[in-house]
Amino acid sequence: MQKSKSKKIALLAAGALVSLAISAMPTAARAADPACATAGGVTSCQGATSDGAAYVMQVPANFNGVLMLYSHGYRYPVDIPAGIPVVGGYKVVTIAQQGPDAVVIGTLLKEGYGVAGSAFPIQGWNADAGVKSNVELIGLFRKQFPATTKVAAWGSSLGGFITQALAEKHPELVDAAAPMCPAIGSVEAELTMAGDVLWGMKTFFDPTIKAHNYSAGAAGYAEAMGDLVKVFTVLGKLQAGISSGAWPDSAGPAGTALASIPSRSALLMVGLMAGLPAQSSHFDATSGPGSANTAAYTSFALAASPALAVLENIANAAVLGVMATYDVEQQAGGAVFDNSKTDYSARVESDAAIFNAALSGSDAIAGMMAFLNPANPAAPRWTSDAAAVTKMRALASHTGKINVPTIALASVADPVTPAGNVQWLADRYAEQYAAEKAAALKEFRTTHQYTSPAKNFIAIWAPTPNTYTKFTATGAPDTSVPGANGTGHCNYTDAQMLAIAHLVGSAAKTGVLKSGGPLTTLVRKAGGLSLDPKFRAPLLKFYGE
Amino acid sequence: MFERRRSKRTIFALATLAAGALAVTAIPAQAFNVHTADGVTPTTIKLGITIPLTGSAAPGYNKIPAAMIAYFNYVNDNGGVNGRKIQLVVKDDAYLPTLAVAKTNELILKDKVFAVIGALGTANHIAVSKSVNLGRRGVPDLFLNTGFSGFADAKKYPTTFSLFPSYVMEAKIMGQYLKDKFPGKKLGLIYQADDFGTDALAGFKQAGTNFAVKVSYASGSQSAQTAAGWVSKLKAAGAEVVVMFGVTTASGAALATSAALGYKAQWILGSVGGDATTLKAVGVPAVVLTGAIGASFLPAPTDTSDPYVAFFQGINTKYNGGAVFDNNVLVGMNTAMMTVQALRAAGANPTQKGLVTALESKGSTFASAGLAPLNYAKGVHVGYNGYWFGSYNSSGELKPIGGDYSVYTTDSGAGAIAKSTYVRPALPANGLPTN
Repeated sequence: MQKSKSKKIALLAAGALVSLAISAMPTAARAADPACATAGGVTSCQGATSDGAAYVMQVPANFNGVLMLYSHGYRYPVDIPAGIPVVGGYKVVTIAQQGPDAVVIGTLLKEGYGVAGSAFPIQGWNADAGVKSNVELIGLFRKQFPATTKVAAWGSSLGGFITQALAEKHPELVDAAAPMCPAIGSVEAELTMAGDVLWGMKTFFDPTIKAHNYSAGAAGYAEAMGDLVKVFTVLGKLQAGISSGAWPDSAGPAGTALASIPSRSALLMVGLMAGLPAQSSHFDATSGPGSANTAAYTSFALAASPALAVLENIANAAVLGVMATYDVEQQAGGAVFDNSKTDYSARVESDAAIFNAALSGSDAIAGMMAFLNPANPAAPRWTSDAAAVTKMRALASHTGKINVPTIALASVADPVTPAGNVQWLADRYAEQYAAEKAAALKEFRTTHQYTSPAKNFIAIWAPTPNTYTKFTATGAPDTSVPGANGTGHCNYTDAQMLAIAHLVGSAAKTGVLKSGGPLTTLVRKAGGLSLDPKFRAPLLKFYGE
Repeated sequence: MFERRRSKRTIFALATLAAGALAVTAIPAQAFNVHTADGVTPTTIKLGITIPLTGSAAPGYNKIPAAMIAYFNYVNDNGGVNGRKIQLVVKDDAYLPTLAVAKTNELILKDKVFAVIGALGTANHIAVSKSVNLGRRGVPDLFLNTGFSGFADAKKYPTTFSLFPSYVMEAKIMGQYLKDKFPGKKLGLIYQADDFGTDALAGFKQAGTNFAVKVSYASGSQSAQTAAGWVSKLKAAGAEVVVMFGVTTASGAALATSAALGYKAQWILGSVGGDATTLKAVGVPAVVLTGAIGASFLPAPTDTSDPYVAFFQGINTKYNGGAVFDNNVLVGMNTAMMTVQALRAAGANPTQKGLVTALESKGSTFASAGLAPLNYAKGVHVGYNGYWFGSYNSSGELKPIGGDYSVYTTDSGAGAIAKSTYVRPALPANGLPTN
């Protein structure tokens, strides 16, 4: 079952009011006892941790002793006024969430798992607060349900970040972990992607977009909301000009200087510069309308589809990009994105070769890069505020150390938290495992006893189908159908999420990850997942791979 | 807490097994259910190719896999390679990079091929190398149907072997030819604005060629309409000799449009866009092609005096349904013959690593139809390095200028261009390699 967009937005969500509310609480506040009730064989408790975060805990009568502790994803920290495209009317959400959706939660309860989740005390980028709330919640759960023997932490998106951070910092509290579609590493890596997209959109298509160095207070809020309107407006214009290549009337100097290049090529270039996938929920970069042997088919697949994919991906990620930038800048006290030294030419080199035709050829690529050159006054680069960067870097980040059996899940064309996040974690674990193996061999040389290090990490990928773009009878792309497997943000079926839950639950119980046939069978039955150990997703551009 | 202990006894048991393995080496492998490399069984070797069978690039290229299969079937009918029959799994990538990635993944993960052979297209294969990463997987990636010089980087692409000379080499040699044969003439160039064209520009620069006009086109944008724009620029610059360094559909559009517009120039076609049969198939009349100059590293497909061509034509008749025998069929069969030798060189129980090593150590000695030498060696993964020039006659056949194949060789750098004295190995008896 695919989650609808509105549901995803509802799952994203919340903060300023909550921040205000908790600032008045005494520092030594303690969590009150939860209010519990039992119905249908499930005991459900609700309460608030000492930081004021709402939580929910549920345990079935057949409790197997394993707590599945879920961390939800990014929720916007402020309300969004009605009238803003896509997300207008959004209100900050402070509801606790004990699983990714009702079906998954219900299934886990039926199977005997306990479930719990927090709303976290603040919304927005809240990894530090999230870890702290979770630590307290684990204690409360164990106190309330003494039959608890193991804790499996899992979460989606920012919740995946919190899950990994929790497992790194508190392995004594967690027996297994499963970050799904996670942000991994640091908030800086994620905001670099957002910054690259927004800077590209501003520089090519609408110089009035701010997207950086938002003012403090109400003025900054208004600037961010204004950016949301501008970004969606320009995306609409770009969509209208996909075939003709016309530039938006808001384009400014780029629209004049690069007028001979189709705007779709510049749009694709923005996506490639930022590291966005060139496949999206409805555009596979491989299909065209009608017969495969027609020029129209090839032209659409080669030139239009990758650009439309980037357009759809930006549309799906833009709100988060603007809001997270605004949010972290407000937390850090200044601008945190800096591309003053970014070499975009080097960054897109191999992608430019692959998508050469869609980018309208080497001359067009050179033209776009010349326009983006730091020396061009029409394309001013952004610089960060050193103090703000220091503050941002003090926020929770990962070392990549795997302390407990861990399963990471990523979609290969996730536009918000690209699969490169999980790849970064996989790379760190490969280094860790190599070091553990070397140590074991060293030990063997002296003791003649070999202790094979346990394999404590599995990366599971959700690949895209070979082709999936659908066309209407008139040959227009049909975006009314559900997004394809491996695309969208955290776009997993219940079967896929339950497979991850079963893996992490089992690992928590036994202390080891499933492997071999049992692992393969479980993953195969979920459908749309791959265990290919030699798959390599491109890292986020932040890492300069 | 999560350690799995392996005791001394286990280590001892493993050592015993190893000793046992030594003792049984004389017993035929087929007697056991032995573990073999992906794609290799006691009776078969499975190979894969991605190539455009549909889409705008399909004409011509779509004949290559059938030609390869024809030769493999001939070899299979004669005992296969060390008793194993060769199977070729063919996937249509429609000349789309993203689809090439998906199809190559299928070849490796689902079909579990032993090696990828003859993959076509520069952008496609850069995408495959980046996303599928054949090198990291250790999958041999042999005899690419592209001359992009970047694939020569054996560190970056450790399992990849090109077959064609690089486009840089081709442009260098062509530049020298222009200097020798058309001194003082105003030169024009049409090139594809991607890595293919970038290589061409680098080669012409090395050769010191000065073009009065250079016209680029984005891959996929070629049409009669865009070609009219090219011709207009060439005319305006007064170009008397025009080099067409593009794909066949671009060559076809340029030739047909210039004929329609009454623009007369001496055309020189690069090897990629110069297959006469394909040009005819995309609508270029032979009369328009007549007198144009072309370049190749293989003998002319119509040259029945060439023993390789004559042999492959026989295979084509018997195993390929008598398809029109053109450069694409010749490339396909030649690639297949090279593949058989590579597999034989890898030994009776081939491994993927062994195949790469065998090609590095013995690939330069393989029998092939190529008139330029093969240069494979440790760290050198580029095959041929030379071209000869010919002229298209009224039947659209490329005939060597002066009557014989004068091959010129060079490298992708600043090396000299020299007339080759290379004598290729004779066609193996019955066309069946015995290396």
